[in-house]
Amino acid sequence: MPAQAWSAPFLASLRRTAGLLFGSPLNAALTLAFGAVIAVAVPPMLRWLVLDAVLFNPDPAACRATSGACWSFIYAKSGQLLFGIYPVEERWRPALVCLLILALLGWSVRPASWTPRLLGLWIAALALIVWLMGGGLGLEEIPTSAWGGLPVTLILTVVAIGIAFPVGILLALARRSTMPAVRISAVIMIESVRGLPLLSILFVASIMLPLFLPEALLPDKFVRALVALTIFAAAYLAEVVRGGLQAIPKGQYEAAAALGLPFWRTQYLVILPQAIRVVIPALANTIIVMIKNTSLVLVVGLFDLISSGKAALADPAWPSPAAETFLFIGAIFFALSFSFARFADFLERRGPAAR
Amino acid sequence: MFRDARTRSIAIQCLLVMAVIAAASLFITTTFTNLQTRGIPIGFDFLTMPSRIVISEAILSYKSRDPYYWAIVVGLANTVFISALVIVFSSVLGLIVGVTRLSSNPLAAGTCRVWVEIARNSPPIVLLIFLYSLWWKVLPPVAEALNPIPGVFASMRGVMVPSVHVDMETAGVALIVLAGLLILVARMASALRRFRAPLSWAAGAALLFGLWVADAGFSTDWPVFAGSNFQGGLELTPELSTILIGLTLYTTGFIAEIVRGGVLSVGPGQWDAGRSVGLSRTQILRLIVIPQMLRVIVPPLNSQYINVVKNSTLAIAVGYPDFLAVMNTIISKSSHSIEGVFIILGVYLALNLTLSSAANWYNRRIAIVER
Repeated sequence: MPAQAWSAPFLASLRRTAGLLFGSPLNAALTLAFGAVIAVAVPPMLRWLVLDAVLFNPDPAACRATSGACWSFIYAKSGQLLFGIYPVEERWRPALVCLLILALLGWSVRPASWTPRLLGLWIAALALIVWLMGGGLGLEEIPTSAWGGLPVTLILTVVAIGIAFPVGILLALARRSTMPAVRISAVIMIESVRGLPLLSILFVASIMLPLFLPEALLPDKFVRALVALTIFAAAYLAEVVRGGLQAIPKGQYEAAAALGLPFWRTQYLVILPQAIRVVIPALANTIIVMIKNTSLVLVVGLFDLISSGKAALADPAWPSPAAETFLFIGAIFFALSFSFARFADFLERRGPAAR
Repeated sequence: MFRDARTRSIAIQCLLVMAVIAAASLFITTTFTNLQTRGIPIGFDFLTMPSRIVISEAILSYKSRDPYYWAIVVGLANTVFISALVIVFSSVLGLIVGVTRLSSNPLAAGTCRVWVEIARNSPPIVLLIFLYSLWWKVLPPVAEALNPIPGVFASMRGVMVPSVHVDMETAGVALIVLAGLLILVARMASALRRFRAPLSWAAGAALLFGLWVADAGFSTDWPVFAGSNFQGGLELTPELSTILIGLTLYTTGFIAEIVRGGVLSVGPGQWDAGRSVGLSRTQILRLIVIPQMLRVIVPPLNSQYINVVKNSTLAIAVGYPDFLAVMNTIISKSSHSIEGVFIILGVYLALNLTLSSAANWYNRRIAIVER
């Protein structure tokens, strides 16, 4: 009897699984097709990734000898991969910056912490980040040309979105303005930025800024890329916010007008808090897009994760395991944006929060 | 005075216009003085001069003594070629993957979900660089080329596919036939709504007849391994293949999600309603489900297509000369940066506006016509 007691539910679940996999001719065909693909593709991948791979052996010769992946390279070069050409003895500073940004991001996604105080926290954190990365006031000064790797990716994402958000709100309000000159300028600005690839904006920023501006005012490469990313993010955020503004019923404006509130106070106290609440999932998606987009700054010569990976690969002592390095970098980006995507899903399921 | 809303609005607009003009003139004057002090000439005359730049591969024929404008056209053709192929492949794959994700089969749905999540959460540039680094690791040397489908060979040197050659006369005939068809369809839409089906059969027959007449001008060229390399066919280099495969994998993830959302947006009640008025399965699909799905799918699909054109600029990461890469070379070679930037901005805006106005036209046609 005890044998039957455990085997009955087991058999039932087996039957259910078999029904799902082979219940109809279509399902059986799908199972066979996908099973064949998995059977062909997965074993060699597994052999390369784990079974034949060199995991921790710090000797480059071990990597030359195997046909599997060379993870010990990633292990040995992790400092250079993550922090680029930042001076080795100062690497605790970018490491601290990364932890700080990630902790703040984790803190900020809690709906409970969405208060005006959060903004102040971020501004203070940014000052701290600039000080930690750049130095001065007791720390050794490091120019932005030596910044590299993960902190560059994170700082570009956070600062670009941080500046672009208020600009985007202004653009969205301008696009819905009744004043034609204001509206037309906003439309031209938003639509031309959205019609262009980010790479071309980065190129234009790096080619045109030196020509536009007098040499004394010329910003360095880091700031140029930041300007391009901010303009790009502002145009997309403006459209997201505009979507929220369109969702606000006219009665809200009329109620504010009945109270005698002037334009900016109407927006700040009545309209924007509701409009932004509606579009929080869309905002999270835009942030994911921006995290992924910062990977493009390598093309204008900034030292982000990809370029520090390429620099690490140039070491002649190692057999240049490019696929492993880019897989590692891809995994970092994936972890960042996948967790943010799950958070966006959670917000979407929760629906627009009531006050 | 500022209490009057009308006066205030005019004042604000005047201020804005003046600010824009002031900023623009400041930019223009500094740019001109900067250019003059560096002795850089301005003007589009350079376009007709021989470029002497190298374009490593191109769909159109290109020699380094060709003028700059032809180099630009060649780069643009590469961009359009990549974008068009990626749009076609990822639409077909995205439809399949999106529908399979809704399957009750856990193996099929799970595999498709992994694909979608990886595509949606990795930067496309990292995907491209990763695939490019795999190319020499995974594929065999040219003598042992993989031959997965007849006529298609994959090796370290790239992918060989059969090519189709069309002579000019044939192209002419084909174009005439196509034009006739388009006119026919356009007329059908307005006047002959009821005879749409028989007319499209007639149009299809006319097209086949046109192709049969023009048969002499068509020839297919299959790649054949001869000695140390392939003869005939069309060669897709590792760079081009990486971009096509990588961008297709990436875009498919997004299109699959759009398709899935579209299918889910049509509730089961619609099927019940269709069955209750006695429609068949195909009729329900054609008359009820697909029209409602299209309304949900077309606007986001359009922005994905525009994204494909934008993402084709990532070709630069693996060294394929797309339009932006060619323009970048031209700017650094000729030092006509202002003109180059204007061409870049103009071309991408024109491409994307064309795509989005085509999609908007289609979107209006399928939109709900309310009472």
